[in-house]
Amino acid sequence: MRILIVDDSRIMRNIVKNTLKSLRYPEDVFLEAPDGQVAWQILEAQEITLLLVDWNMPTLNGLELVKKLRANAKHQKLPIIMITSEAAKYNVIEAVKAGVSDYLVKPVTEKGLEEKIRRVLDRRPS
Amino acid sequence: MNIRYITPFIEAVEGAFDQMFQLQPQALTPYLVKKEEILDWDISGIIGIAGEARGLVVLSFPADLAQELTAVLTGQAKDTMDEDVTDTVGELVNIIAGNAKKGLEEFRLLISLPSIVQGHHHQVTWPSGPVPIITIPFSTSRGHFSLSVGLENIITT
Repeated sequence: MRILIVDDSRIMRNIVKNTLKSLRYPEDVFLEAPDGQVAWQILEAQEITLLLVDWNMPTLNGLELVKKLRANAKHQKLPIIMITSEAAKYNVIEAVKAGVSDYLVKPVTEKGLEEKIRRVLDRRPS
Repeated sequence: MNIRYITPFIEAVEGAFDQMFQLQPQALTPYLVKKEEILDWDISGIIGIAGEARGLVVLSFPADLAQELTAVLTGQAKDTMDEDVTDTVGELVNIIAGNAKKGLEEFRLLISLPSIVQGHHHQVTWPSGPVPIITIPFSTSRGHFSLSVGLENIITT
């Protein structure tokens, strides 16, 4: 398993990583990127099991990255959870239309993250 | 003062501080400030708002509280205003502005990436025009901070 955490805040990436570590995900499953552009390069070069992506980031934001991934056959089935401060319903709808598998509003809680990950990984085609 | 549109920001502050720091900030009486006011704080995180309203959301702290909150998130004691502190303040104002949008859904709003202003007695450049700026002071068991909001069409007196 490889989980790619994309957020321009290093502290937020660490919070997500530490939350997952407390859910017994091993340290060596995590990869990190500070924006959508770096994330895209990683996704093109490596097999990623799950993408956790922020919305508001410089260079290539999370929504743009999701649209770019879903437009590419290789990434159409990649489980993607958007983790963002954007709490308005119209934002959730926009992200779902762009192709996210699920949506989690910051601040991140252990319970919230665990539920979302379980849900999207269970929905994966076998 | 239109309290209806202040409440989403107060609730966003309370929710963020409770979940991230296990702190229960108490909102004190909001007041109007002038655009040119010099802030009696050491660091401010600023989010620009665009879309159906234009303005700023500004979250301001004294250095010691900003460092203490950063220490909670990083697990490391802080005594300087390093990159972790600016990251924490930027992410906090981002979470507060983004979460407040939930209570303002009749307006379609876009939020910018956060920017940071540092230095004791710093000043924030507010957008031009007659938009009232409301400051909400908050008190916590670890110290005081404030949230200032100026949004045309939304914050009115």
